[in-house]
Amino acid sequence: MNTGTIKQLFSQYKTMALLIAIALIWLFFNQATDGGFVTPRNLSNLLRQMSVTGILACGMVLVIIAGEIDLSVGSMLGLLGGVAAVLDVTQHVPLPIDVPLVLLLGLMFGLFNGYLTAYLRIPSFIVGLGGMLAFRGVLLGVTGGMTIAPVSGSMVYLGQGYLPPQLGAVLGAGLFLLAMVLTWRQRVNRMRHALPLTPPWRDAIRVALIGAVLLAFVRTLNHYDGIPVPVLLLLALLGIFSYVTTQTVFGRRIYSVGSNMEATRLSGVNVQAVKMWIFGIMGLMCALAGLVNTARLAAGSPSAGNMGELDAIAACFIGGTSMRGGSGTVYGALIGALVMASLDNGMSMLDVDTYWQMIVKGGILMLAVWVDVSTRSVR
Amino acid sequence: MSDFLMEMSGIVKTFGGVRALDGIDIKIRAGECLGLCGENGAGKSTLMKVLSGVYPYGTWDGEILWDGRPLRAQSVRDTEAAGIIIIHQELMLVPELSVAENIFMGHELTLPGGRMNYPAMYRRAGELMRELNMPDINVALPVMHYGGGHQQLVEIAKALNKKARLLILDEPSSSLTASEIAVLLDIIRGLKARGVACVYISHKLDEVAAVCDTVAVIRDGRHIATTAMAELDVNRIIAQMVGREIAALYPRQTHAIGEVVFEAHHVSCFDVDNPRRKRVDDISFSLRRGEILGVAGLVGAGRTELMSALFGAYRGRFEAEVWLDGVPVDTGSPLKSIRLGLCMVPEDRKQLGIVPDLSVGQNITLTVLQEFSRHTRIDSESELKTVHGEISRLQLKTANAFLPITSLSGGNQQKAVLSKMLLARPRVLILDEPTRGVDVGAKSEIYKLMMELAAQGVAIIMVSSELAEVLGVSDRVLVIGEGVLRGNFINRDLSQETVLAAAIDPSARATGHCDNRETA
Repeated sequence: MNTGTIKQLFSQYKTMALLIAIALIWLFFNQATDGGFVTPRNLSNLLRQMSVTGILACGMVLVIIAGEIDLSVGSMLGLLGGVAAVLDVTQHVPLPIDVPLVLLLGLMFGLFNGYLTAYLRIPSFIVGLGGMLAFRGVLLGVTGGMTIAPVSGSMVYLGQGYLPPQLGAVLGAGLFLLAMVLTWRQRVNRMRHALPLTPPWRDAIRVALIGAVLLAFVRTLNHYDGIPVPVLLLLALLGIFSYVTTQTVFGRRIYSVGSNMEATRLSGVNVQAVKMWIFGIMGLMCALAGLVNTARLAAGSPSAGNMGELDAIAACFIGGTSMRGGSGTVYGALIGALVMASLDNGMSMLDVDTYWQMIVKGGILMLAVWVDVSTRSVR
Repeated sequence: MSDFLMEMSGIVKTFGGVRALDGIDIKIRAGECLGLCGENGAGKSTLMKVLSGVYPYGTWDGEILWDGRPLRAQSVRDTEAAGIIIIHQELMLVPELSVAENIFMGHELTLPGGRMNYPAMYRRAGELMRELNMPDINVALPVMHYGGGHQQLVEIAKALNKKARLLILDEPSSSLTASEIAVLLDIIRGLKARGVACVYISHKLDEVAAVCDTVAVIRDGRHIATTAMAELDVNRIIAQMVGREIAALYPRQTHAIGEVVFEAHHVSCFDVDNPRRKRVDDISFSLRRGEILGVAGLVGAGRTELMSALFGAYRGRFEAEVWLDGVPVDTGSPLKSIRLGLCMVPEDRKQLGIVPDLSVGQNITLTVLQEFSRHTRIDSESELKTVHGEISRLQLKTANAFLPITSLSGGNQQKAVLSKMLLARPRVLILDEPTRGVDVGAKSEIYKLMMELAAQGVAIIMVSSELAEVLGVSDRVLVIGEGVLRGNFINRDLSQETVLAAAIDPSARATGHCDNRETA
């Protein structure tokens, strides 16, 4: 097998390659921790750790597909999480009001970033840098540099609660059914338009694989305490964002703006509005991530979300999002977030020094993007 | 010792099982200019990439003899060392650097310590300019001060400085004006006299006829014929290229011209970088239903600026008053214009036309995507139905609608971009250089489509730098020079000379309104 065919295989089965990479990482950590890594308890932990980065990555992947970048998300997450904590702890605002308020605030911040980028034409890199400093500054001002604790129990549930096992099982079965229906519908549609079909056995294997993963997922988590609420949230976001990017007009616009903004503008698309709303969605995701983060820590911290933007961006790139815009997937970004979280979790278990953790994560990011770049142009 | 400078024999190049080149034999003598003709996708570029070492020896079959000895280049560096230099369609110049710096790019003359030896470079660059009969060029000025024709010249000077013995010119005139082309052809004649061989690749067959000694035609990767120009004419070349005689490239038909539908009043555009300079100066014109209005002029005359201002897409400051059906309308952005039924297919297909990461089908429905939305979801069934309809209507050659648009040839990409705008049901359609870089077959299909649209009552504005095209398609011709309307002719017994004379004459003035109610 020469390098050409390896490259071709790689670019065709990019997701597969990423999953194999995760399997290898897990296998390695499991060996190193004498079976302590792949346990229901730790996997549950791992997925909860991943949820904040994952939520950010859902928004960030849209931003990057549209050819922009948002460096302010870590600080914005911290600020919104801090605001949620302040409202909860010092103002005693009930959760049903606190959450919508914070979400609305996140949307406004995001739209503001988007306005600066799309309408005032300030490069998003600069808007992000400015926001990174300014949002963190506001957070320090709001909290007075102190940790805001303890947050109410209902809020803690957002980050630390679990879905009852029976409901988890029903959810798993429902998702499996959905996968079957979607695969079937795709085959029927392709058949109707006389498009080349994948062989049935490959679709069957695919559905079986999805079923196996879902079964393992639900069983493992139910073995511990059930599906954690933030993981459930992440699953829902995966569904919503996949739908938006692949099935809606707005989703198609995101790709076309990122691929060739001028051509899209000349086709009668309001590209500025599209960009502004993408940043708006990013802000909304910052609010969600901030809420989950505060709930998980049961406190609003002035350093919350520090470097969160880098984890989210790294997750997108590891997940195969193109850095010049125009291509990328939401599930890819989440797999990327899983890679990052696995590294964090495994190395912490092994008591690896923080500085080594940072070096390894940086190296993995370079490696992933290098593999992506070198396999992209297959002649 | 053979009397040929370069002989290619039995060149075969395959891409993943597809034979892009299937046994090509081509020979060139020193001082000879060979025209290389073929439709887009025939294999011209691939052949030149083999010759210039972009595809290293061993990735293709066959043999190249250079000066009678086998040439086994591993890279472009090797072929350049041998004296084979290729000048690409898109010029490879750095606009901010001076003419001399561009000529010496990568081969700079240096003083000790790596400092640039400007005096020596300016001296040598000046010599080259005199050799090319262009002593007026100031080699210390940035390249961006000069127009397309002179920039081409800088590329040629760069090649000569590398001691070129075989110069490959890939579509050298695609962005040049008529007078610049004349300069270019003169330079090539001068090169021939000095013993430099040339390969001239062009869709513009009159240029090929004017400068080439022999013409090689390839079609579908096969070598059809190499014939001395003396035994050929343009029609015979076309016949060899397409494998059939094209009866009439320009299918101009009589069609009814209706009432005035579009009026532009006092359009002015200001330069993006220098807001005091006017690129378009107070142009007014009108257009009738079913009329095809050709807009001629030299490159840089302000035609593209005028059109993008009308469409609301001009980047700099502009003033424009647009009337549709006798009522003033707001065409301040492409979105507004398209909603009013004023659509534009832009000049630069790669930069402004296609969205490279989307599929053929997704490119086609870009403008009207909202119409397929049902409860937030794109109805992919009806989208695909529309796309298939467009593909068959425009005879767009693609295996299926899901292929990336970049996998299509230039002509088919252009058809997709056209189709995108046609789906918006235009009443006034602006086509800016609709057939640039498009092969003869697709060209004639695009003309036919324009005729159909005109017959349906669509008013069409076609900007073109090819005078033959302007005269072959239009009912009326506007001539623009240096941002001013210099001529307005009904296309009846109109000659290229008349149009060109108006374009060049600085004192010519005209109004763009017209009362031709007759049929063409």
